[in-house]
Amino acid sequence: MRSSVLAVFVACVVWGCSQSEKVPDAPGQPKKPRVTVYMYSEYIAPELPKEFEKQTGMPVKIDVYENTEEMMAKLQRAGGVSQYDVVVVSDHAIPVLAKLDLLQPLNLEKIPNAKNVSGQFKSPPYDPGSKYSLPYQWGTVGLMVRKDKAPQAEPTWALLFDAEKQPGPFVLIDSMRDMLGVALKSLGHSVNSRKPEELKAASEAVLRAKKSPKCLGFEGGVGGKNKVADGTATLAVVYNGDAIKAIEENKGLGYILPKEGSIIWVDAMTIPAKAPNVEGAHAFINFILGAEAGAKLSDFNRYATPNAASLPLVKKEDRENPAIYPPQEELKKLEYIEDVGDATRLYDEVWTAAKAR
Amino acid sequence: MKRRVHPVVGVAAIVTLVLLYAPLLAVAVLSVNSARYGSVWKGFTLKWYRQLLANEDVLAAGENTLILAVASTAIATVLGTLLALGLARAPWPKWARRLLDFMVYLPLVTPDILFAGALVVAFALLRALSGAFQPGLLTMIIGHVTFQIAFVALVVGSRLASLGRQLDEAARDLYATPFYLFRRVTLPLLAPGIVAGAMLAFTLSLDDFVISFFTASPDSTTLPIYIYSSLRRGVSPELYALSTLIVLVTVVLVLSLEALTRYRKE
Amino acid sequence: MSRLMIWYGQLTTRRRLLGQGALLSGGAALWLLAFLVLPLLVMAAIAFMRHGRYGEIEWQFTLGNFRRLLGYGSFGWSADYLLILARSVWVAFVTTLLCVLLAYPLAFFIASRSRGTRYVLLGIVMVPFCTNLVIRAFGWAVLLRHDMPLARLAQWLGLLPDGMGIYPGPLAVYLGMVSSELPFAVLPLYVSVERLDWSLIEAAQDLYASRTRVFAHAILPQTLPGLLAATILTFIPAMGAFVVPDLLGGAKYMLVGNLIQQQFGPGRDLPFGAAVSLALLVLTLAGLFLLRGHGKEGSAVDAA
Repeated sequence: MRSSVLAVFVACVVWGCSQSEKVPDAPGQPKKPRVTVYMYSEYIAPELPKEFEKQTGMPVKIDVYENTEEMMAKLQRAGGVSQYDVVVVSDHAIPVLAKLDLLQPLNLEKIPNAKNVSGQFKSPPYDPGSKYSLPYQWGTVGLMVRKDKAPQAEPTWALLFDAEKQPGPFVLIDSMRDMLGVALKSLGHSVNSRKPEELKAASEAVLRAKKSPKCLGFEGGVGGKNKVADGTATLAVVYNGDAIKAIEENKGLGYILPKEGSIIWVDAMTIPAKAPNVEGAHAFINFILGAEAGAKLSDFNRYATPNAASLPLVKKEDRENPAIYPPQEELKKLEYIEDVGDATRLYDEVWTAAKAR
Repeated sequence: MKRRVHPVVGVAAIVTLVLLYAPLLAVAVLSVNSARYGSVWKGFTLKWYRQLLANEDVLAAGENTLILAVASTAIATVLGTLLALGLARAPWPKWARRLLDFMVYLPLVTPDILFAGALVVAFALLRALSGAFQPGLLTMIIGHVTFQIAFVALVVGSRLASLGRQLDEAARDLYATPFYLFRRVTLPLLAPGIVAGAMLAFTLSLDDFVISFFTASPDSTTLPIYIYSSLRRGVSPELYALSTLIVLVTVVLVLSLEALTRYRKE
Repeated sequence: MSRLMIWYGQLTTRRRLLGQGALLSGGAALWLLAFLVLPLLVMAAIAFMRHGRYGEIEWQFTLGNFRRLLGYGSFGWSADYLLILARSVWVAFVTTLLCVLLAYPLAFFIASRSRGTRYVLLGIVMVPFCTNLVIRAFGWAVLLRHDMPLARLAQWLGLLPDGMGIYPGPLAVYLGMVSSELPFAVLPLYVSVERLDWSLIEAAQDLYASRTRVFAHAILPQTLPGLLAATILTFIPAMGAFVVPDLLGGAKYMLVGNLIQQQFGPGRDLPFGAAVSLALLVLTLAGLFLLRGHGKEGSAVDAA
């Protein structure tokens, strides 16, 4: 009896070790090398990878991450730099990744569709000359609100920070730069401010909001949107695409872009320094920048497309929706989140202060 | 042998079990609720289960999780038990005992993230020697075993300590050889401790997120990684279906194990 | 050196015993050395380094990270980091206390059942543990929502303002923490309770000892090794916890785990993260040595 137990143990160990050489799950052996893409979850229309495979013969594997820190940790420390071919990253991470030699410059000759990119995104502040990246989708940060509970909601950040204006239970966003950026904007400062007094004031505003009995706390990503959607909260800081998707299902919800201005974000496609399939990476980026692919992408995500050729092909109702494509006056008040170098330490300290007290 | 216990103890025990199972019941109810968000009851449905079983990513993740747990538990139980035995049954000089004790406690005291960081450093160095240490199932197994050893050693050691010397001495008085003693006396008495240690190690591996994350490759995602990632997206009821399934499977396993032991005795 | 000695009834030499011991423990010891001890030493070294502009490590010795931890930040002295550490210790302490209080009756209950039932009950205790932490936390989140019976009851009793739930909140956090740490406490305690010498307890009862005395003098000393293991296995993870407190508490208060995670992430300050981790490690080790000192008389863990 005991020896049979031992035998089972040994068998498990041997079997376990052999599993580490397991061939990766792929339907059949790919004839052409596959393209591995690393992006946010639920961020690509399911038919697009299949179309790409039909066109080029290269299958696509999508791996997902939930926030920028996760992605950076993966690339920087856990070997991701040689496992992925295309990585869709948030704008503010690009200069950092570039400086850390984790990205390779794009070979624009292999991406003829790069010409489709809209003028404003052609040489953005986070990547001058589009050396390392080409845009994927863009959007804004704003507030989602239950119109029945807050019919008179003014388009202002004061709905969060001013005790008298808080319409009901609300959720803040658990992202250092986004939340502090929102607070800075509400006080009339830049989201990339390096001035200690301004940062301190922003931190205090967040702290006051957190301590309000109506504050339900901080949630990352879609958490705030979900709480508003299921009735727990009346107000939340959200990304516009998530809000649009929720509004589709429930017309009693609304998206507000506050008058003090907000954050514009761009997610862009990059190629890691040691990507295994560089040819495939460029082909994929080129494919996404095609007019039709870009339109299908935006129709699925409900985010705005940076692709001028795709814009006319996007669903009419989305094109005319100010929540997705804000009008010129609003666009002017939007700022990119940029890397603030040494001042990151200041941001970290005031964020900790707001969270610790 | 059954003993009477004070009714308060019994009530407290039942309350504790209820506490443990309350969230699971909530999850089970949600898994058959046709509403996608929130907790409003919108009608019974099995569609989440159907969607789950069609979801290749989840199934692959589940497979990886099991393989990882079984392999690492096997290795760790063996190493951990040997460690506990060697620690308790040899007259170590004080400094050696302190050192070994420290090494055993270290994995327990180290926060997950620091542990994962240490592993990443270790593998980065090892990758210079051999390409086998690319992130993947092997590195995950190694990572899991490293923290499991300590738990097994602790549980087995605690059991070993409470056994004392009398039985060994009595057996030796009766001219038992060391091997016979080990096989027929020590090991059976130790068995509950080993089983408890192995069960603990197994469950730790199943539930681990941080360490798995830093040692995984895109192909070796485990369920905790997948589930935790979904957190940001908003939990799809598919995951509730998954959890309920896991609970059901585990309950069945436990019950069959118990039936097996009863059968063996007869 | 090769003096004969009696060891567990066996006539043997010290050298041979140590050789056997080394053979038994060697594998595990080497493993831990290679994959844990050495890398941790490297990380400890990193705690004394500066961090570069983009998150790299600059190999220059500095005590700056520890000064920052003690509160000397860019805005003058502030107790923020110490507050975080203190709060983590408190949460861990309360969680451990609750776990032990609940684990004792459960362990006794299980030990008092027949042999077969015992394993089943142990299995039942372990089963919730096999489900994912996040899912269980979500289960609690649902149970404690503002529109569910428990919260409504609290609102009606005036304990909560209308429309707010028990979740998110501190009680939810403790419920979540306790229910996730409980198996850690029950298992080791059960292992000790199972080996209890009931004759001692019966003797005490025969002598008309009050229940508390029976517990304190007959039960507690015998179960001390299990209690110690249970405390350690509960306190340590609770100290580093951040998932459950975030999920059920609304992420309003940063704990040590969050702080470390942030440094490895958006803060991109690996040396500071390593410094905080080192501080956490030292704190917990200190607590451990205190505990072991206390329990040494009754502790059989280092018998021999």
